[in-house]
Amino acid sequence: MSNLHFEGLTKHYGAVKALDQFTHKFESGQVHALIGKNGSGKSTFIKMLAGAIQPTEGQMFLDGRKLEFQSPGEANSAGIVTVHQELSLVPGLSVAENIYLGRLPKRGLLVNWKQLYDDSRSLLAEIGAEMIDPRATTGDLSIGRQQIVEIAKAMSLSPKILLLDEPTSALAHAEVGQLFALVDRLRTSGVTIIYISHRLAELPRIADTVTAIRDGTLIGSVAIDKASPKVILDMMFGELPPLQRPTRHIDKTHSALSVRDLELAPFFKGVSFDLHHGEVLGIAGMLGSGRTELLHTIFGARRADAGRIAVKGNTVSNPSIATMKAAGIGYASEDRKASGLVQSAASHANLCRVGQKRIAPSGWTNLALERPFVDKQVAGLHIKIGDPMAPVSSLSGGNQQKIVVGGLLNNEPDILLFDEPGRGVDVQAKRQIYEIIWDMAARGLACIVVSTELEDLTDCCDRVLVLHEGRLSAEFLNEDLDPKSLYAACMTGDDTGAAA
Amino acid sequence: MTNTHLATQLRRHSMLLILLALYVLVAFTARGFMTIDNQLNILRNIAVPGMIAFGMALVIIVGEIDLSVGSMVAVSACLTAWVVEKASGDAFEPAWYFVALGIAVTLCFAGFVGWFNGMLRQRVGVPTFISSLAMMATLAGMANLITNGSAIEAFPSWYYIIGSGRFLGVPVPVYLLAVAFVFTYVLANFTTLGRSIYAVGGNMEAARLSGIDIWRTKKICMIIVALFAATGGIIYSSLINSGNPTIARGMELEVISAVIIGGVSLFGGRGSIWGAFVGVLFLGVLINAMTLWGFNPYAQQVVRGALILGAVFVNFYIDRK
Repeated sequence: MSNLHFEGLTKHYGAVKALDQFTHKFESGQVHALIGKNGSGKSTFIKMLAGAIQPTEGQMFLDGRKLEFQSPGEANSAGIVTVHQELSLVPGLSVAENIYLGRLPKRGLLVNWKQLYDDSRSLLAEIGAEMIDPRATTGDLSIGRQQIVEIAKAMSLSPKILLLDEPTSALAHAEVGQLFALVDRLRTSGVTIIYISHRLAELPRIADTVTAIRDGTLIGSVAIDKASPKVILDMMFGELPPLQRPTRHIDKTHSALSVRDLELAPFFKGVSFDLHHGEVLGIAGMLGSGRTELLHTIFGARRADAGRIAVKGNTVSNPSIATMKAAGIGYASEDRKASGLVQSAASHANLCRVGQKRIAPSGWTNLALERPFVDKQVAGLHIKIGDPMAPVSSLSGGNQQKIVVGGLLNNEPDILLFDEPGRGVDVQAKRQIYEIIWDMAARGLACIVVSTELEDLTDCCDRVLVLHEGRLSAEFLNEDLDPKSLYAACMTGDDTGAAA
Repeated sequence: MTNTHLATQLRRHSMLLILLALYVLVAFTARGFMTIDNQLNILRNIAVPGMIAFGMALVIIVGEIDLSVGSMVAVSACLTAWVVEKASGDAFEPAWYFVALGIAVTLCFAGFVGWFNGMLRQRVGVPTFISSLAMMATLAGMANLITNGSAIEAFPSWYYIIGSGRFLGVPVPVYLLAVAFVFTYVLANFTTLGRSIYAVGGNMEAARLSGIDIWRTKKICMIIVALFAATGGIIYSSLINSGNPTIARGMELEVISAVIIGGVSLFGGRGSIWGAFVGVLFLGVLINAMTLWGFNPYAQQVVRGALILGAVFVNFYIDRK
């Protein structure tokens, strides 16, 4: 049997040991989940195996043969292929061109298009993705389908070892199911899969073993039937105190936000709901259900076709980002990199950007004037930053998310909209973000949380609305919240099982 | 850690250190460099490209570019002379208010062009790299059109003061450079507009979602650089006492390279007015030194080109870190 074996693998960055003496054997033909919080050394390990960086010490063996890579290309030829968390497809090219990018079949000097499309079609069929047209423009596909194209691209290299780095983080439930079917198929065909995920709940469905790294050290590896959620969390974090959602008083007499018959073609129609001071309201729905568009419309970043939005009883007559901001709404974007933060700018600047007018109403400003607003949020939200003037890109996902929230708080909002607050942050950081949301709700802020991960909503929210095919189709109150019935409601739009 | 702190400080001010090293080297090797006259001469020579570079730094930080500044200098010199000539008729010594009118018309025109560049970017989505390239050709053509291809000599005898006059021994353009520096420095560092400029250049979508009027921010930067270029054109028209359509050809290259040498990121969002000043001074000292050293002028062009390439290389290298 072929297998993957590590002997004392170590990587130093200066004095920091990113990975220390990693010795382990991965059996072939299985799915091995690799877990660890951000900064645990997990990515360092993956990068060394993928040939992106070289180990300081130690060895890697595949089928008893020693592996030494100078580049990812060499790792590919040795049969080790990585599918990265962030898609690396060229949106303007066809699916087939992306799969065989750099290796297009040629006839003389010209591309052999017929062979390219035939090869792609049979490859897609082989992995059970016949529904994807190899001629389709990649950028037009859903994120879930692009992820599958990414895996098809990896499979075209006939790997022995496939590294999947958080393949589900951008996917909705239905698409995750599709991906898992694909992983099952690959396992059956004898490919060894190393699977990295922050979504611990999906591990029992997909993994054969769970291996944990913490602070650069291998903590342990267990078979999946012995890996209860508690065992997994303990391996990742050591002991973790249980999650406690504090009880809060929600003032139901006055709405902080009322939305009436809001419509934005083709995303949603007839959306009406009320949000109260002190309430954390979740909005659930599959990818493409119009969740993000709904938040954008409430925040004024998109113009509604019809309907009415009132903040604290006053209808906003001309919704734009500026008027909604002035009315007291803050929006935390789903994508910190693309639209939430200015990555090249310092934490300081990112904390002051949204509240600029409030911090410096005269238009004149300086660092000393802004500093108290920075310090206040850093202390209040327990943001771990060394130097507030260092670029925000150097921070972990959890701390970046806190910077986003801190920036909004500096504008003293009454209503906060969170789009995927838990994306790309580890379990511990996610808990801290919930605690921040609850804390703000306790101070009377009204919050809306949108998430693909239904567990986020059941853990965090007082009430959850389900958006199905552009309409609000169900409502769940706190005590009825569980991921299963919420999932069913998202899929069918039906609220059977919901007491509300 | 004091060691890493020192390292970051060194990296942050690396261009300043290189400038100082060059300065010391030239001081010891080039005869006549360290005279007060020569130092003032350097400052006067960098006054026009310098003030445009401060505006250009804002434009590049906000994520745009303006390739039309050289042509803007030329057309502004010609337009000022043309207005003075047309307004004053055949008078031998045009009245001061005709000169004021010429300057006002020129500044309004420049402001409009800057606004128009921003407008094209907003409404049509044309990258400013393209639209300002077209504007470069258009403005150069306009300069030739209104002057019929040759210089217009229409200024009163006192007009030389703007370009060649001195106050307390220091050339007037140097004062204008100082004003432009203080204006852009304060704008970039001590106003919320300055903060917005950095945010828009760093991430347009994040800036938009923060409620910043991104198009207004970009337009203001485009207008500022055009106004500085027009001021430069007026200074040049005074220096040569005429509106000549052939001046400042290729100046956009000099200005943009100074800004890049000064560490302003070509991707937007990063850089400083101080850095742009260091870049301008570096180029000015180098050109002066090469002349004093007796370099062949064609060789000087090669050296400048190689230097720009080197600066762009370093710029990209630092950005990737």
